[in-house]
Amino acid sequence: MSRVFDYLLYLFAWGSGLILVGAFAVFMGFLLSQGLPALDSSLLFGRTGMVDALLLQRVVIDGLLPALVGTLLLIFLALAAAVPFGLGAGIYLAEYAGKSSKALFSLVFDLLAGVPSIVIGLFGFSLTVFLHKRFTFITPCLLISALALALLILPYLIRSTQTALEELPATLRLTAAALGADQATTIRLVLLPQAAAGILSGIVLAIGRAAEDTAVIMLTGVVVSAGIPRSLFNSFEALPFYIYNAASQFSNQQELQRGFGAALILLILCGLLFTLAWLLRKKVTARLLYHH
Amino acid sequence: MANIIEIENLSFYYGQKRILDNISAAFGKSAIVALTGPSGSGKSTFLMTINRLWEEFAGARMSGQVSLFIDQEKLDIYARDISLSWLRRKVGMVFQSPNPLPMSIYRNLALPLRMAGWKNKEIIGHKVESVLKQAYLWSEVKGRLRDDARTLSGGQQQRLCIARAMILEPAILLLDEPTSSLDEKAAREIEALIFSLKEQCTLLMVSHDQAQIKRVADEVMEIVGGRMSGL
Repeated sequence: MSRVFDYLLYLFAWGSGLILVGAFAVFMGFLLSQGLPALDSSLLFGRTGMVDALLLQRVVIDGLLPALVGTLLLIFLALAAAVPFGLGAGIYLAEYAGKSSKALFSLVFDLLAGVPSIVIGLFGFSLTVFLHKRFTFITPCLLISALALALLILPYLIRSTQTALEELPATLRLTAAALGADQATTIRLVLLPQAAAGILSGIVLAIGRAAEDTAVIMLTGVVVSAGIPRSLFNSFEALPFYIYNAASQFSNQQELQRGFGAALILLILCGLLFTLAWLLRKKVTARLLYHH
Repeated sequence: MANIIEIENLSFYYGQKRILDNISAAFGKSAIVALTGPSGSGKSTFLMTINRLWEEFAGARMSGQVSLFIDQEKLDIYARDISLSWLRRKVGMVFQSPNPLPMSIYRNLALPLRMAGWKNKEIIGHKVESVLKQAYLWSEVKGRLRDDARTLSGGQQQRLCIARAMILEPAILLLDEPTSSLDEKAAREIEALIFSLKEQCTLLMVSHDQAQIKRVADEVMEIVGGRMSGL
């Protein structure tokens, strides 16, 4: 009986993995078959010349370059706003918080993680209205979107930092203490370098989340056509919104295909950012732990 | 011989359990003192009262007085104005199992200096080399200082840990069964190293190995049932 159960469990585990891999392969195959035909320079630059578009000498109206740049800016601004607070709160929870404050903070961060992105978008929109009444130049824009996205990705960063630190063996702390390190020095010179890989994994997750979210930016600043934003207070274009718009409003097959093309570009962008983060993780770990 | 450690009426508790019972003792400078006794009698705890490392554990408390004589000054190490960081640099500790940090050999040794605020890379480099030579490790690791310290053998790791404790030039070195997890050859190498260090500092070493105690110790103290007596 036990051998049968072992075999069934093995079969179920193996089958689950196989089904997921298969589903992913089908999904990628479908996306590639639909998106690849649309993937050419006109998808990115429209009728504008590539050089003129890249040098910002001519506005790209019917290409995805502004949406690509908008997405990149959005990711970097959201990370810039969220990473310091995410790291700080994660370190607090793992290293400083007492039992009751840890429980309270964890509850709040779990609730934040569970807030639907449309609600965060609504909050960003309300904030924009509130600010607009006092500072008329503030309208839905890149900055508000990035700050709202930062709020969305904050729980990922907090949890990954906390987990990366808490998973470190207690002997590290004891060894550092025996060498005369106070708590702040232990965190800075021993624990954070050891936890860097885990923290960077959290940042990778946050990149993915910030790159794909549409609900937040729909209510806080993204538009169909805005060009490359010249300042943080401009509205902007973004790839997920372009995909949403193409899928929901297409009037012919070619427009839908451009939507698939945009989805491929978004995946490639995320893949590149993940690779960059992975390389950074390797480099940071080597530098912090093995270089003189 | 002048004393470097004086202990008066030291008692120690984990929760309600008394581990050390009203110990009073004194230890002279530049000596190797072996602490022996049955398992669970409080030897490791006793060591941790001298660098206050027990304070890292919840639920422990102590009473009594521990004084060190450093730079011709008697210091109550539990006084409010004593810096824990300073104390633990003056009283180094080596644990039963080698505990190199998961980083390079070089960084393991440079870390205590960086923690103490040293910034000059050249001076740190010289100190690392010097302490590795002192620990008879230099010839074995000089070509692989960037390797992970955990790739060293058990005996090498323990010598590295002793070198790491010595790089801060402590006045006292606490050794908690430093050879118990090593083979005979590695244990003898550690013993030779410990013996060579006694000119530089006072060593308090927990050991169950009577032959080892005979070989290296100048003085032997026994802790039984939380009470200490000289042998």
